[in-house]
Amino acid sequence: MRDAGEQWPSDAELLRRHVAGDDQAFGELFRRHRDRLWAVALRTVCDPEEAADALQDAMVSAFRRAADFRGESAVTTWLHRIVVNAALDRLRRRAARPALSAGDEQAFEALAGPAGDPAHTTDVRLDVDTALRILPPQQRAALVVVDMLGFSVADAAVILDISPGTVKSRCARARARLLPHVSHLRGNRSASESVSPAQGGDT
Amino acid sequence: MRGQTTHPDTDVLAEFHAGLATGRRGARIAAHLAVCDRCSALRDELAGVSALLAAVPAQAMPDRVAQRLDSALAAEVARRTDSERARGDSPRDRGTAARPAGRRGLRLLSLRVLAPAAAVVLAAAGYGLSQLPHGSGNLASPSSGVAGAAKPASRANIPALTPSSGAAARAEPERMSPASFPFLTSHTNFMPGTLKQQVEAALRMAESARATQAAPAAVIACVRHVAGSANPLMVESARYQGQAATIIVMRTSKGDTALVAGAGCSASHGQPLATTTVP
Repeated sequence: MRDAGEQWPSDAELLRRHVAGDDQAFGELFRRHRDRLWAVALRTVCDPEEAADALQDAMVSAFRRAADFRGESAVTTWLHRIVVNAALDRLRRRAARPALSAGDEQAFEALAGPAGDPAHTTDVRLDVDTALRILPPQQRAALVVVDMLGFSVADAAVILDISPGTVKSRCARARARLLPHVSHLRGNRSASESVSPAQGGDT
Repeated sequence: MRGQTTHPDTDVLAEFHAGLATGRRGARIAAHLAVCDRCSALRDELAGVSALLAAVPAQAMPDRVAQRLDSALAAEVARRTDSERARGDSPRDRGTAARPAGRRGLRLLSLRVLAPAAAVVLAAAGYGLSQLPHGSGNLASPSSGVAGAAKPASRANIPALTPSSGAAARAEPERMSPASFPFLTSHTNFMPGTLKQQVEAALRMAESARATQAAPAAVIACVRHVAGSANPLMVESARYQGQAATIIVMRTSKGDTALVAGAGCSASHGQPLATTTVP
């Protein structure tokens, strides 16, 4: 398997090659973005097993529907859109099921893994991940895409298939709702400021 | 929404911060923030939520998930190759099944999707398929553990495997070059849980890689031990559970059966480590 770091064929070129029948191109493209795609799936569904299911659904869907990509947006935006859709789909399907148990949380923590972070970073991450669960899925997806992954409101609107105004209002309501649950983290400025945003494998 | 004298609630401040409160309403909130320490502090806290979220590092995808996705992707690639071939195959291909010996394995592979009747043509044309009644015996004899997995269930609709239809081909093996099978080396680490998908993917690779290497003598000896005189569809020198291994894919009546031979596989030893059958 090749390193995901190489960027020499562009995303769009890899997708073209895939559509043209190249068996390797899609794998290369997907590996290039999979950590970010994993992050968006995991944080949207808040459950590692469901996130893996959603990501697999999305990957298969993107593989099969690649010819539909028309280049109106970046390939990554398109990929994220498919992943978010698959994640929200999973959430809708399990909507009738009860909320997460403590066991899920332990599984989540185990899967999330230490990843070599300083202890306080892991704590912040786990606290944030826990806090995100209180949000309604649509708000959470918007907040993850905009605030956590750093997409512009315009790109987020494409990913979420809603208007830019709706992206803004969902994010605003999500931040307001999240505030009481993360203010203790935010109060600890050394914790939030010492964490590099570039960390986490998305070069 | 709110009068100047009232503190706007957190939602309203968040909307204002997101640029959603415009016109007179926005101006009213801005004027309030300018004079109210409590609300401007709250606005700063809201801005801090975004900063906090942006600072949380994303964790890398766990290996377990990555492996699962790799397998799913391999299966997708195989599925696409199959459906493309199903569309591309024409009756003419069946009529021209007799191909130069060098592409024998590749042709066999590409005929996977044809009806059993096509297999009759192949066997009669001397492709060594008739070896399979013997071949499966060969698979079973040195390694009883494999017998259950590799032994073809006799299926009435595969006449190619009956002695009569295979008679014409029985003289063929002697004329075969000793290493006329596609051979690859790779860094693939085959694993028990994903063996089937990985073998499927490997078969696609073998097919798309038109030029294959000549197999080393040790690999040929191992293949002869495991496969007898039947020619494998593909042989791949790779790893299994991290250890050097040879993957040998044979055609059987149930599909393509892959045997994983360990590093010690030779002309006299070759207990397979694992087998799987790709329908």
